This record gives sequence, structure tokens and C-alpha cells, in this order.
Amino acid sequence: MSGIAPAGDPVIPDYGQASDCVIGNGPFCGDWFVDQWSTVFWPPLVDHIYMVVIAVVIGFVIAFAAALIAYRKKWLAGPIGIVATFLYTLPPLALFQLLVPFTGLTLLTVEIALVCFTLVIIFQAVLAGLAAVPDDVKRSAIGMGLNQRQLMVKVELPLALPSIISGLRIATVLTVSVATIAAFVVDSGLGSPILKAVSSPFNTQFIGAGALAVLLAFVLDGLLVIVGRVLTPWTRARV
Amino acid sequence: MYKLNRHALNRRRVLGTLGALSVGMAAATLSGCTSTTASVGGAKSGAARRRITIGSKGFAESWIMGELYAQGLRARGYQVDLKTNVGSSDIINTALQSGQIDIYPEYTGVIVVNWVGIDTALGTADETYDIAKGWENEHGVTTLQATPFENKNAVAVRKEFADEHGLKKVSDLKGIGDFTYSTYPDNVSGAIGYEGIVDTYGLTNMKLKTLSIGLNYQAIERGEIQAADVFTTDPQLLRSDLVVLEDDKKLFGFQNVVPLIRDDVFNDLDEDAPEFLNRLHSLLTIDAIQALNEASAINRIDPAQVARVFLQANGLM
Repeated sequence: MSGIAPAGDPVIPDYGQASDCVIGNGPFCGDWFVDQWSTVFWPPLVDHIYMVVIAVVIGFVIAFAAALIAYRKKWLAGPIGIVATFLYTLPPLALFQLLVPFTGLTLLTVEIALVCFTLVIIFQAVLAGLAAVPDDVKRSAIGMGLNQRQLMVKVELPLALPSIISGLRIATVLTVSVATIAAFVVDSGLGSPILKAVSSPFNTQFIGAGALAVLLAFVLDGLLVIVGRVLTPWTRARV
Repeated sequence: MYKLNRHALNRRRVLGTLGALSVGMAAATLSGCTSTTASVGGAKSGAARRRITIGSKGFAESWIMGELYAQGLRARGYQVDLKTNVGSSDIINTALQSGQIDIYPEYTGVIVVNWVGIDTALGTADETYDIAKGWENEHGVTTLQATPFENKNAVAVRKEFADEHGLKKVSDLKGIGDFTYSTYPDNVSGAIGYEGIVDTYGLTNMKLKTLSIGLNYQAIERGEIQAADVFTTDPQLLRSDLVVLEDDKKLFGFQNVVPLIRDDVFNDLDEDAPEFLNRLHSLLTIDAIQALNEASAINRIDPAQVARVFLQANGLM
């Protein structure tokens, strides 16, 4: 057992004839998109959704908690805001690469970076929402006998909800787009077919994957709008 | 030459940025992988090893090779975690050495030039293979049989141009008057780059135009350039009206693909794994790999599907 294998007699399968559109790298080949949907597009789309949802949920938990703390202890709002803003301003690609030595070419690296980008948006949205609750409303609630915790849960948070939801919407749409860059670290998400299509220019693949990312952003944004409406029925009455 | 050939590989790397990650980083990192299986280096002891991590480099031919290995071994009952697109040769080799991956397909010439550090032309593919095998042995890595096909840089010209000037070998280009050759920006200086070809073959009449990878075929078909740097397994060579000139001074070396398996993994494998890999490799002739690359690069079929169809057609799964 050594050296170059003796040339065998391979059966070379017929991979069929590609359409002119595919061979000529047309702007968008619908036939190919449909054929390859289940292998090239669907699995990355599912991965992408997971990536975004995990990042936004974790980002929300952290930023929400930080905002509540900053709301109570006003002097913390500045420092937390500065840290969150700093994380937000790092270029995503640079942040991925900074993290790689510590957390590896893994989904963990990607999620840490994605969470960092959601923090400042959600933090500010929650804080702004809470700050915008009118003082007289709070005073009358206290006058009705609500303690501080009840005030937060029954009055301040519900009134801050529209602001929180709009922060979540921005964070989600942003994360959908930033998550495409994750393909530099893990072979996952919609960035993966885009990157692979770049190496041997193939329009259908990156237009297809890019369009899916845009579509995903719209869908998730739409879902959040619906969630917001369900949670804040009074806002519609006011309009 | 050392530097240069590395560039030749880098050219195939999709994730340019990933290359910026240092080798050490990659070593430190691949372990915690999220995909399917748990710790990679974990299941070393005990009886036969049934869980393996396979890696592939950053270009289509390597993705297909990785899929061929992975699907074939899965069909033999192994639990395989496939890491596509791990990165350049240096990164993936470090990942192999440090146990982050267990098997990956490498090119013999890459081993010889990048790591053994030989920068003189070797005479035969076998000699190249033997040197590569020796080096890998010393570094705790087993090499199985290499593919009959090899994938290396070559100079291609249009058929009319070849006929007009009676071109068969690269050295025939000398003295035919000025013409333009294209390669990618990374491959200009150095031994197998533009400058190396000019030096080795004395082609002072060869002008340079740098183009991104993948654009050279369009450029030569449109007549913007007369000669192009190509890879010998490029499927475009099957379709376009091009002639590959013989590398009569053996500048480009030999690049057969060999599976690299870390010794500890190899020793724990059942017989069926090396048997399968050797059979697979013997079937990978130049015609076969060009057809596979064509299915991927021209028909744009997913590498996983390309590999599955080939394995099934050849009774390997």
C-alpha cells in the first residue's frame, strides 16, 4: 500500500445538463433555485433563524436587566451605555476574529458577537421607554397604593412596551444582516452560500441567499409588530 | 518558492479573511465545535474508533473530497462530523496536528513545498508522494494512497493561438512576440508565479495582467489575454476551446491528493475505512474529478449531492 493509487475505472455519473442560465451565470436562475432549495438554501436559512433568535433573546435578557438596573441607579446609565455603544461600534468581522482565539471557530463566537451588537439598541430602547413614562402617571399609581415593584410591572413596563418592541425590531433586523458575516467563522447561516458563491461568481446563489436574508428580516420584523400590537391593545385605541 | 506556493493555495481559499487568523488560533479553536458531535479529541481510547472528524479546505474540489470521505465513511457506519471550509493549508494542517480534525485531503506538492520546504523541481509524482509521506510519518500522520489525478497550476492558451504559433510546451512561448498572461494578484512574484515562469522559461515577451480568480476564463475567451494561469482540474478546461501547454521544465511540480490521517486515529480505525479510502482514491482519475468539479462549478450542484451521486454510481455506498 504505497504511492499513487493505480487508476481505477470509475463510473462517471451523468450530472445532467445545466440550463443556459446556469452555465451563462444569468442574473437569477429560477430552475436552479428551486432544484437546490433543499440543499443550498433551506438548511442555512434554518441555521440563520436559530442564530438570530438565540442572539436576540440573550441580548434582550442582558440588555433588559441592565436597563432596569440603570433605571434604578441612574449613575450607572452612563457607564453601561458607553460600554454597550463601544461594543456596537466594533466592526463585526473584527470582533469575530478577536474572539476566535478564545472561543474558537464555533457558534459560541458568533453568538457572543451578535449579542454584543444587540445590547446598545435594546438597552437604550428599554431605558427610553421607562424614562418616558409620565411622572403624574407614576405618582397617581403610587397614590393608589402600588409599591415599587407593582409600579414597574403594572405601569412602567406596559407603558414602555412600544419603545421596547421598536428596539427589538431594530436589533432583530440588524442581527439578521450581521449574522451573514458569521460564515467567516462557522460554515453556517445564509452567509455561507453567499461566501461560497463569491469564490466562483454565481449570481443565483448570492442573490438567492441575500434575498432570503432580506425576506427573513421582513418576516421577523412583521412578527414583532404583531407581538407588539397584541401586547399593547390600548395603543391602537389611542390612534 | 516556499512563499509562493502557499499563495497558490491561498488562491483557492474562499475565506480570505479566515487566512488572517493565525495558525495558532485555529489550533486553539476548532475543538468546541457546535455542529453535531461532542469533543473531537475525546474518544481516542478503547476499541475501534467509530467517530471521526473530517476537514476540508476552502475551495470546491476540497469540499467535494471532504463529502466523498464523509459520506463513504458514514455508509460504513462511522459517525462523521464534517467541517467544510476550515481554511488554508497551514490552518487545516495545524488543526490536524492538534487533534481538532482527524482526516483531511491534502495535495502532495503542497506538503513537499510548504512544510518539507523543498524548492527544487522534483522529477515524478511518485517521488513527490514519497517525500510527502515521509514527512507526514515523522509528524505522526498516516498517508494512504494518492489519487491518480493531480491538480496543479498550468498555462493555457486558446487553440487558435496554439495552432498559429505551433505551441505545445510552455517553452514554445519563447520568441513568439509579445503576448499577455493573466494570473491572480497573489501569484505574481515567486517561483511558480508569473515571475517564476518568466525566469524559468525565459519569457521576456510575456506581459502580465492580474485578474481575480474565475475571471481568467472569460478574459481569454474574449481575447483580452492570450495565456492564462489555470488549474489542471478546472472544469472550464473541458468546455472552453483551450489547450494546456506542457510544463516541460516541471516548474509546477506534482499535486496528487492524499488523505492525511493522524496516527492515533488511524490505529483505531477498522480495516473498512482505509479500504474504502484507497478504493475511492483509485477511482479519482482526472476525468472523474473534472466531471465532479464540473457538476459543482458549471452545473452548480451542491458538493454533498455531487459526492453522493458519484459514490452511488460506483457502488461505494
